[in-house]
Amino acid sequence: MRRVLVLLGKDLRLLRRSPALVGGLILYPLIVALLVGMVVRYVGERPRVALVDADGLPATLTVGGQDFDVDETIAQAAGDVDLVQMDEDDAQRALERGEVLAVVVIPNGFARQLRGMVQQPMLELRLTRGGVATSIRDKVDALVYRLNLELQQTFIRSNLEQIGLLEQGGSGSFLGEDFTVIGLDGAEAKLAELERSADPEVAAEARQLAIFVRQVRVALGRTEGALRATANPITLEETGGQGRVQILSTQVQAYALALTLTFIGILLAAASIAVERDENVIGRLARGLVGRTQLVGSKLVLVALVGGLVGLVLALAFNVVVEVAGVAGGVDWPRLPLVLVGVLLAGLALGAFGAVIGTVAREARSATLVALLVALPVILLGLVPRASAPAAEWISHAFPFLHAVRFFEATLADAHPAGAVGREAAWLVGLAVVYGAVARLGVRRLLA
Amino acid sequence: MTDSAPIIAARGISRRFGRRSALEPLDIDVRAGEALALVGPNGAGKSTLLAILAGALAPSAGELRVADGATVGWVPQRPAVYSRLSAIENLVLFARLEGIPDPAARARELLDRVELPADDRPAGRLSGGNQQRLNLAVALLARPRVLLLDEPTAALDPRQRRRFWEIVDDLPRQGGAVVFATQNLEELGGHASRVAVLADGRLAFLGTREAYAVAPEAQVFG
Repeated sequence: MRRVLVLLGKDLRLLRRSPALVGGLILYPLIVALLVGMVVRYVGERPRVALVDADGLPATLTVGGQDFDVDETIAQAAGDVDLVQMDEDDAQRALERGEVLAVVVIPNGFARQLRGMVQQPMLELRLTRGGVATSIRDKVDALVYRLNLELQQTFIRSNLEQIGLLEQGGSGSFLGEDFTVIGLDGAEAKLAELERSADPEVAAEARQLAIFVRQVRVALGRTEGALRATANPITLEETGGQGRVQILSTQVQAYALALTLTFIGILLAAASIAVERDENVIGRLARGLVGRTQLVGSKLVLVALVGGLVGLVLALAFNVVVEVAGVAGGVDWPRLPLVLVGVLLAGLALGAFGAVIGTVAREARSATLVALLVALPVILLGLVPRASAPAAEWISHAFPFLHAVRFFEATLADAHPAGAVGREAAWLVGLAVVYGAVARLGVRRLLA
Repeated sequence: MTDSAPIIAARGISRRFGRRSALEPLDIDVRAGEALALVGPNGAGKSTLLAILAGALAPSAGELRVADGATVGWVPQRPAVYSRLSAIENLVLFARLEGIPDPAARARELLDRVELPADDRPAGRLSGGNQQRLNLAVALLARPRVLLLDEPTAALDPRQRRRFWEIVDDLPRQGGAVVFATQNLEELGGHASRVAVLADGRLAFLGTREAYAVAPEAQVFG
């Protein structure tokens, strides 16, 4: 252990003498992490979908006696989908090139069917290939749901107007037929006159009819609630606009932490182990001064310590941003020790992985380049959504990045993170042991 | 001298790097009081043999024995020091790894002995001669009984070379031993008591300096 600490002290001293290197090592991945976090959020939330109006919808569409502003209705229903109007050919090309993830076609005759209210009109959905299609289908389903909801609300309003006409009387139209009704108010007034009739038989029948009219009024009074309840048995009330603005999402923080650690860990470990050969000291160390386990161990501890420091600074930076900007996010203070545990475990696993790269590359410059080349696909692999490519997730399990992200997501967001944190911690420890053992074997290459 | 038990005894040691054989099986002893010169052209196996004797490189086959309690110092051809640490920092670091009590005092002592300034200049900015002196100082940290030197004076000017040998020659006189690789045959006369000649990884000759001078098989430089 003493020798590990001596080597560690040497590496930390060398790092302290390279402030520009350390600054770059921290700033570069941090900037990349924030950019990736934002891109991931954006891509996840607003897929681009082409809208093809093959029916030539008018600016205003009248359905069931109600006028709809077509553009406004579509815009309100778009929600999490970035709808872009295109013609048929452009939309198809865009789908093939991947510029849009789906095409929604309003077919010829759509408006006629909608106005007729006899035949259910259909929209056509063309999806991109691959696992992401499921997610897009869900978002387009949500779009159609919201369109139906808009129409439904209008129909309910129309039906309620008809009921109002039945209650109060007057003139109206339904399915193009004009009509005039006396209404319950008029019927009650007439029945009241008949109740005062001299003929007791007429008066008795009028009283019975008046009772019926009151019963009908009570029943119609409940119609609005019943219509809305049957149209939407369950509704979701959104109480937005309260609390703080959410800019530092849990996902962005988790990615920022894991990505920064991955770059620092892999690069630092790979370069610091290869530099022992560059400096020609590896042979001197191998003469019983420092064992292979101690050499690899010192690099793992180096990455864990530097990673721990950077992780702590990042977590504190998140919280400072949160406090100063008055936004939501940041690390709950009681969770900070758990974040640090994650940073240290991720540092050990990433350090071991980087040490393997260092022993394979053998020379510090090559090791740095190889580490950079390896770190990027490892990170990108961990960012591929499970639904999009399950194989990417399986492969990602072999690298520390995915487990670091999941550890931090669970720590930052889960109400009860113990299960997820324990599972990911076990993965990180396991990977540290496996890669550490491989790096230990690889040290022999440095001596050759 | 030759009757005493060897400090280092190598039996049948050889080394391969992949398919290439760098050193064919050979036997060699290093005894107290002697200075053994390893002679041979580039690629003959001198550095490989020294690295194996130093314990820096494991032999592919054979057995290496070092007498109980004997420490071995190694001066590789290219200085084996951290170029971004100063001379004193390098010495303190390796003294700590060697487990030497009071590493700072031992480091200062050796800086004086090899006549290096105790400033904070990184070792990488020292002259070639001073880097080689630092290389020697690191090898002397653990007070070795045997000093292994790989073409140690190749980068030194005549004055530095003379001073270097003054320090190294002390060791055999004090009961230790020196093994040095060289391509400079003039160094044999002043410093070697025995000569081993290597050619293409094979031991072509092993004997006294006087025998070397008259042995035709030892003349590998043409």
